[in-house]
Amino acid sequence: MSALLDAPAVNPPNLDAPATGAPRAGSAWRQRAAAIVPWAGWICLAVLLVVPMLGGSRYIVYLGTLIALQAALATSLNIVMGYAGQFAMSHAAFYGFGAYASALLISSLGLNFWVAVPLAMLGAGALAAVVGYPALRYTGGVHLALITFAFGELARLVAANWHSLTGGPMGMRVMYSPSPFFGLELSSAKGLYWLAAGMLLVCLLVTLAIQRSRFGRGLVAVREDETLASFLGINVVGYKVAAYVISSMLAAMVGCAYAPIMNFISPELLSAHETISLIGVLILGGIGTIVGPILGTIVFFGIPEMLRVARLYRLVVLGVIIVVVVLFMPKGLGGVLRDRLARWKRGLA
Amino acid sequence: MDLIQTLLDGLMVGGLYATVAIGITLVFGIMGILNFAHGQMLMLGAYTAFFVVSAGFGFWPALVIAMVAMAALGLLLERIVFRHTLTDHMQGLTASLGLIMVIENLAAAAFTPDHRTFEPPLAGSFQLGPLTLSSQRMLVLALVVVLVVACYLFLQKTRIGKAIRAMGQNRTGAALVGIQTSQVTAVVFMLGSAMAGAAGVLYGSLFAITPYMAAAPLMKGFILTVLGGLGSVPGAVLAGFLLGVAESLGSRYLSASFRDGYGFILMIVCLLYFPRGLFGQRGKIRV
Repeated sequence: MSALLDAPAVNPPNLDAPATGAPRAGSAWRQRAAAIVPWAGWICLAVLLVVPMLGGSRYIVYLGTLIALQAALATSLNIVMGYAGQFAMSHAAFYGFGAYASALLISSLGLNFWVAVPLAMLGAGALAAVVGYPALRYTGGVHLALITFAFGELARLVAANWHSLTGGPMGMRVMYSPSPFFGLELSSAKGLYWLAAGMLLVCLLVTLAIQRSRFGRGLVAVREDETLASFLGINVVGYKVAAYVISSMLAAMVGCAYAPIMNFISPELLSAHETISLIGVLILGGIGTIVGPILGTIVFFGIPEMLRVARLYRLVVLGVIIVVVVLFMPKGLGGVLRDRLARWKRGLA
Repeated sequence: MDLIQTLLDGLMVGGLYATVAIGITLVFGIMGILNFAHGQMLMLGAYTAFFVVSAGFGFWPALVIAMVAMAALGLLLERIVFRHTLTDHMQGLTASLGLIMVIENLAAAAFTPDHRTFEPPLAGSFQLGPLTLSSQRMLVLALVVVLVVACYLFLQKTRIGKAIRAMGQNRTGAALVGIQTSQVTAVVFMLGSAMAGAAGVLYGSLFAITPYMAAAPLMKGFILTVLGGLGSVPGAVLAGFLLGVAESLGSRYLSASFRDGYGFILMIVCLLYFPRGLFGQRGKIRV
């Protein structure tokens, strides 16, 4: 797991790279070894993804599905928060939008699952553009945080009050399972696990593509200094809106998977608590790194499962862990690993 | 008459929001600490009042004890956690999210999630012309006005209040002219926490107390802080009353189940047309 994190484009410029001058002798092999680490990370991920398939335990498969879904969601939030540096509080709203939209398209209009997913994503993208553009015209981030927060709460209230469409605060039951994907059967528990894992991989690949692209480097420039980025000819508002739209569309996509996995949707899905715990996951794992959201999800959702014996106090322990990580490891687990790797590469560690 | 009654109700609720918003204005608007655990202070303040009143000491000692206890807790949190996260909004935010989990779950374990209420000092209602007014609600409104005015005078007139405002304008500049920024930060945090404690007692005297009561007032407090203009106490208070009236009118004449929605609509409209808030400074904020 330790590093899908080698991320030259996102290294903050203040990393002590140039300060130490020429690398020491004998560091060439370290360079080569460090280049393997991202691949090792991908292999770790693949192993982790396969593990739930090996045991026959339904519980492990279910847990794996939940963690994969949450990791996918955190990865998609990372695009707008980690790379573009914009504090979007509406992620759970788009997640819920995806769940509701796909469920309604499928059960009311009788569409195929794989037709409903892109439709839900398009709807979410249009909505995100309408909400995001007025909020992102301003520098500083507080506007986006508040407007997106208010939008998320409004969406939750609409979902809770539009009885004829959404079933109101009691939620709605979802009775369909996704249709096979190129022959891969998705209706069983294991099939749903593959659906969630697939969503996670899509989010990871989109993030990776963004990070390696001119667009991603532009986003990082915007995150570091909007004024400077605009002097470099970057369309600051356009870049921020694009990051927000992409991130929201991915959230809606993950939401489409949520509905058949849980068989139940309620307005609670859209609540700000969901977004807040996602932000906790991101910062715990390391914001702006590829590995961060996954590490964060495993710690954030894995530890409470392990602490099941302690029941009531598991969330207390988790809270203490978050505070300690923030105080002593402000870059998050992924950030620390990345910096360690960078130091080791130059033969310093 | 119906309209005036609704307006008064709105003012009362708005006063509660304003009390929460002042605490957040001090801590977030002036010091720049995004403390989401502010709502948990409010919840603990309400519980403190519940236990003090249940022990037979009455409402007024409960108010004082809750404020002092929350100020002490605020000092503790500032020394242990928030003084280390001063430079980074996100860090402070995440730390406070962790604190929320700790405080809320400990409270749920210690106090049980049952709804609690305590006896308000004034029961019943009185007639004023054609209006029927709840005595306790009027008392709450009066107390809110006292707290708001006291807080405002403290910031405007006292030496330490001036130091606080100076730090709000420019931290480095304040340190350069000899203000002990670390101590002033602690004072602000204590003051904000005491306001949260007071708001909790007032909430508790009107509504049920549960370990999970914190979320709604907290979110409204943050909204009001920005609506009023970051760091402006009069702005936060005015926005608080506006929000209370808007919610009250909306739920009376439109739809009650959408009550929380009116505030958010008000906020979105406000941020679109007055992006600096009601009393915020003018300035170029567009890149």
